Amino acid sequence: MTISVAPGPDTQEGIRTGTAESTDSLTAPDIPWNLVIWNDPVNLMSYVSYVFQSYFGYSETKANKLMMEVHKKGRSIVAAGSKEQVERHAVAMHGFGLWATVEKASGGTGGNSGKSGGPGQGKGKRG
Amino acid sequence: MAKAFKYGLKGITGFLEPAERELLRSLIDDVISMLQPEDRTGQDPLAALIGLDMDVAEPTDRAVKRLLPNVVKDDGAASLEFRQLTERSLRETKIGALRAAALDLDKDEIVLTPEGARHWSMALNDVRLVLAERLDIRDEADAEHVHRMQDWSQAEDVESYLALVYNFTTWLQESLVQAMLQSMESRR
Repeated sequence: MTISVAPGPDTQEGIRTGTAESTDSLTAPDIPWNLVIWNDPVNLMSYVSYVFQSYFGYSETKANKLMMEVHKKGRSIVAAGSKEQVERHAVAMHGFGLWATVEKASGGTGGNSGKSGGPGQGKGKRG
Repeated sequence: MAKAFKYGLKGITGFLEPAERELLRSLIDDVISMLQPEDRTGQDPLAALIGLDMDVAEPTDRAVKRLLPNVVKDDGAASLEFRQLTERSLRETKIGALRAAALDLDKDEIVLTPEGARHWSMALNDVRLVLAERLDIRDEADAEHVHRMQDWSQAEDVESYLALVYNFTTWLQESLVQAMLQSMESRR
């Protein structure tokens, strides 16, 4: 993601974490599919946070936390549910221009170990 | 010069010079033409009616593929199946937002409802995604390299011109999203 003006959304992290639902509970083994958002160098950090807040109804704190996870770790599981649910979310995310994929939950690992540039495209070198 | 979008009593407002509006209009038109589904004769009319597209294929143009990405990583078959069910309506959603934004370009002063602002932010994002592919922005270092290009007097080739256009749309989208976040905050 990219910052075009001032950074800052992450400065409030931790203030209201108690009010946001825990992302850990969403990756419980009984929930079979995850919606993953991948980092890319184009989408604005503010825009990604706006999409998480307006579409999922997440608090600013939670939206920024997930956005920073995408930015720093390369990907983040932002929602979970049935296959149909996460597929519907994925289409909505594609509508917003975010890079979303769906995957089967791997069973409680959290699934955030991936740090590749994203699905299907490697990092091309310039020149 | 364009004025950044801001949130105030009238809602979200912005101001663009005629040349800037012309530029945005042509960028939006370009993206719309990339998203317009091919007119296929002989397609099952019932399938078309319910948005199914059995002839859909993974886009070969990288920019189009970025607008309409695969939904399952490393699984072309599953992604293709999903495209058959959803790609047509995704294209229509995107074209709808782009057209809505283009309609607002008829006046210097742009006044946006929350819905209009959402359309604008989606349209600007798609325009930027396409420009970024043309500029070969692959990682944050590429983005930083392009971001350093700020002086229109330096624009001497297509790439530097595109970089300036990209930075203009980035600046515009950032100001819009900040205004939208403020507006959302005030409604809470």
